Amino acid sequence: MDHYSDQLNQIFQALADPTRRAVLRELGRGVASVGELAKPFDMALPSFMKHIHCLEECGLIRTHKAGRIRICVIEEQSFVAVESWLATQRARWEARTDRLEQFVMTTEQQETTP
Amino acid sequence: MNQSFNPTLDPTLDPTLDLVITRVIKAPRTAVWRAWSDPSSFAQWWVPAPAQCQVVAMELSPGGAFITQISENGSAFMPHLNGCFLAVEATERLVFTTCLVNGWRPAAEPFITAIIRFADHPLGTEYVAHVMHKSNADRNTHEELGFYAGWGTVIEQLANLVEQSA
Repeated sequence: MDHYSDQLNQIFQALADPTRRAVLRELGRGVASVGELAKPFDMALPSFMKHIHCLEECGLIRTHKAGRIRICVIEEQSFVAVESWLATQRARWEARTDRLEQFVMTTEQQETTP
Repeated sequence: MNQSFNPTLDPTLDPTLDLVITRVIKAPRTAVWRAWSDPSSFAQWWVPAPAQCQVVAMELSPGGAFITQISENGSAFMPHLNGCFLAVEATERLVFTTCLVNGWRPAAEPFITAIIRFADHPLGTEYVAHVMHKSNADRNTHEELGFYAGWGTVIEQLANLVEQSA
């Protein structure tokens, strides 16, 4: 269960970035190389690779080398994890708890600083 | 996943229908309790920005109404949560449900029972939310709403969740 929610946290973090979401949307249409994926973005390749690594680390995509080209594939299993209805509810409550924590911390700070 | 989960205090965990969120908040228990039990504080974190929450009723006693409304994109306030409290133990435990409404009247749309616990922790407060869902019927509703329509939809919805929580 711990591992599961760790993975979910990572996945949600990965999804928080617009570049990475665009990459996933593109990969939802089919397999693509890093070069093809990077094209729409005004970004140096090393920066773009960071996004690819992030997606790969949390298991949303997998990649492999074909000669000098790196091919990316969407990892359907990870989507099963996030797609599940209970996971969505969990994410909602996690986010809610984040906001509660933030609210309490901010309020506490205001009270202790004159 | 929650080491302090206590089956003598709480019903048994059903992993297919329940979720448990545990968080250590670096603030005194009274502060966390206040954020939950003071309507104007509660309204500030219950829903993700930019949506706004309005607490219509928060009667902190068993059977007391718990009603909130939500306004998205500056539109009129719409029903959000309608339920009642089942147990209220100041600074320790709050139990509420949407299966019953004000005065224990059966609800039209039962959905959850939530047990919120506040405990002392060396770093502040251990906050535990145990949320129990009704059944797979709710899951089917989500499916009917097109939640599983495709990758794009799923990614978009998840992204919205994440962005709203940021």
